[in-house]
Amino acid sequence: MHTRSAAEKARIIDRLSHSVVHTHLQGICLESINGDELTMKLPYRKELVGNLETGATHGGALTVLLDHTLGTACICCDQIEAAITPTLDLRIDHLSVAPADKDIFAVARIYKVTRRILFAEGFAYCESRDRPIAKATGSWVLMPELRLSELLLSTEASVQQ
Amino acid sequence: MTLSDLIHYEPNARTLERWLKKVPYATYLGIKAEVHGNEILFILPADKKLIGNPTLPAIHGGVVGAFMEQAAAFHLIAKMDKPVLPKIINFSLDYLRPARLRDTYAECTLTRQGRFIANLSITAWQEKSDEPNAIARAHFLIPERDR
Repeated sequence: MHTRSAAEKARIIDRLSHSVVHTHLQGICLESINGDELTMKLPYRKELVGNLETGATHGGALTVLLDHTLGTACICCDQIEAAITPTLDLRIDHLSVAPADKDIFAVARIYKVTRRILFAEGFAYCESRDRPIAKATGSWVLMPELRLSELLLSTEASVQQ
Repeated sequence: MTLSDLIHYEPNARTLERWLKKVPYATYLGIKAEVHGNEILFILPADKKLIGNPTLPAIHGGVVGAFMEQAAAFHLIAKMDKPVLPKIINFSLDYLRPARLRDTYAECTLTRQGRFIANLSITAWQEKSDEPNAIARAHFLIPERDR
């Protein structure tokens, strides 16, 4: 087992963030790394609104943010080599409505790693992490045969072409 | 007219299009709907901005989930006797195979609608309906009718 420094994780996430087109376009970015806890931010955007009458962000946009944050926490989890980890399943509890005009933060943590599966949990909040708007739990498949470095290299190659 | 007003119109291809236009996120994703008899087919047209994995390339799994959640919400409204805007309680998603950069389809089943809660299952596929890319289950809260 090896541990990565926060700076090392931030480097992996930075390289990754440019290759994941969709979340990059949404402006989802790294907010902080605190030990084994990862926080990402989704800036408020009008195009992500689900209810025009309240201005609340769509539940689906939260699914994207939470899937991405928990998945990214898997990729740079200390206990594995940086590898591709596709989502196996994801469950989201919607605890309250995302308030209009507020950025949304998602926090993720890996709570168990086996040879093939990573179990992750997290939540989303706006103003206070004590008042989450959604909770997420899910599992990710560890595919060491799909090396992250190759994904990043091939993406960089296709960008250059 | 707001979405709350529009949902009282009989659900057909034209009204579903008007509903989708009232949801900025559904418009952003490019979701479309077709009505075939009693069935509603939701379509997420392939679009490069939806890519999550650039090497395959594959559509971001979260986007597939978001598409399925929106499909479930509108399917539920379409099946309500007295339509109201439902609120998502929870959403549980199983990924079966990566969604390639192709059109994705979703169909929903309203498994149970009680007075306050509705349970729906959603299937999303690309090439063949019997080879789903993802399946999901959603619970919605049906707010008390005030009209």
